[in-house]
Amino acid sequence: MDEITSGWFDARVVTGAHPASLQPATDREAVAAHLDRFELSGALVSAMASWLHDPIGGNAEASTIAHSLADRGVLACWTAVPATPGELDSLTALVEHAVNEGVAAFRIHPASHGFSPSLLDELYAGLQANRLPLCIDAAEITWPDLTTIATRYPELPIVISNVGYRKLRELWAALDGHSNIYVDLVDFAAHQGVEWLAANHLADRLVFATGFGLRDPGESVVRLAWSGLDDATVRLVGAETAGRLFTGGQS
Amino acid sequence: MIGRRPTQRIIDVHAHLGPYSLFFIPDPDAATMVAVMDLTGTDATVLSANRAIQQDAHLGNSQSLAAVDAHPGRIAAYAVINPWQKPERELERLAADERFVGIKVHPTLHRYPVTGARYAAVWEFAEATGCPVLSHSEHQSPYDAPAMFQTVAERYPGAAVMLGHAGITPAGVAEAIEAASRYESLWLEVCGSQMTGPMIGAMVDQVGSGRVLFGSDFPFIDQRMSLGRVVCAPLTESQRQDVLSGNARKLFRWRPLPGESGERGVDETDE
Repeated sequence: MDEITSGWFDARVVTGAHPASLQPATDREAVAAHLDRFELSGALVSAMASWLHDPIGGNAEASTIAHSLADRGVLACWTAVPATPGELDSLTALVEHAVNEGVAAFRIHPASHGFSPSLLDELYAGLQANRLPLCIDAAEITWPDLTTIATRYPELPIVISNVGYRKLRELWAALDGHSNIYVDLVDFAAHQGVEWLAANHLADRLVFATGFGLRDPGESVVRLAWSGLDDATVRLVGAETAGRLFTGGQS
Repeated sequence: MIGRRPTQRIIDVHAHLGPYSLFFIPDPDAATMVAVMDLTGTDATVLSANRAIQQDAHLGNSQSLAAVDAHPGRIAAYAVINPWQKPERELERLAADERFVGIKVHPTLHRYPVTGARYAAVWEFAEATGCPVLSHSEHQSPYDAPAMFQTVAERYPGAAVMLGHAGITPAGVAEAIEAASRYESLWLEVCGSQMTGPMIGAMVDQVGSGRVLFGSDFPFIDQRMSLGRVVCAPLTESQRQDVLSGNARKLFRWRPLPGESGERGVDETDE
């Protein structure tokens, strides 16, 4: 065992089945095996159902996994949509419910769920007040909308995911201008992108995550383990920043 | 958990070099690529300069040769043949310069079908010499969908063709596997943003571990993304080593890769 590459926290795991992927469905046993295989200290789990079927109802599936694997450091990430009669009464109440459940972060899918990010101000305020990060896939939001949220809620940590390899120009502007924006390693595929951010003093904005359930976890694991970062920075990215961000509502 | 140092030896058969206009690439130079190779256990990389595929084949091929000259023990070059940019001239250059070990074509980028007559000289050269050809392949592309390579294999059975990205998408990979299963001259290369270890496992299961090749597309994409999929893929260690380097050493025999004598025959590395 290499102590530098064990004990990482996986900030993006998705439980459930994807309808068009060769990745197998990730149930409790699969998440536990994932933790074992890569000697992880824990994971932040959201529900595929919340993304692809029932945004609010799917949150129970994330919490079930988190409660079941709480002793393994697994935390739930819930999904939010705008308050809409019949679907969701109140974003403030949703956040309060989440805090009581020990939820560690929220995820939004504005593009997939068909709403403007500006409809969630009540959510952003609630998350900021409770120190819960907001997670968003790059494809779900425009860069101007992302930076608008970051500007209006400067104490709200925002973790952008699935950046790919073609967006460093936009990413740089977002990170440089907003100290509350982070990027996780799910499909963060730019050549030397990790090393480039570290060389530009932004290593503390990188968060290890695999996207297990959606992506091949080997990508992020090898990307960080065989990176050009020194051991201390690998630990920072692999575990320490997540430990600071995802506290399960406990400050 | 994986350690901080690789345990396998690697040959990367799909790489590039230099900037690309559509997005920013940090440090896309050859020296940085070799530094990454040192971290990942990569003995040799075969590359084609981004300038050669994106804009000017002749100038870009010169950049590739300069990278070989700067790192002769680690980097080898493909000659990019653009069917619209004097392909005969570049083929003559390839034939005369031993720093080139293969041909790279990109039908989708150059908007010309891989089955078209302008590529005929490429396949004839490959068949006559044993020079391997790496082509972009992309599901549903009118220029290089995996099924189109069956036509190339029918016409030029002696030309070894690597299907870069193996069709890219899950459906494309399925199509590439079908083509490679039918024609032994077709090889599958594994880099691509939608690739997964299970998909690589499917290639090995259905085509055999002897015609699946590691490539990464770096520095277009970080090398460790593709490498991580293979390192963690559901393969036996023997299969994994075939993919990571054994098959490349078997395929690149026309001109030796860095670190190779060029005298080893295919039978000596077959299972």
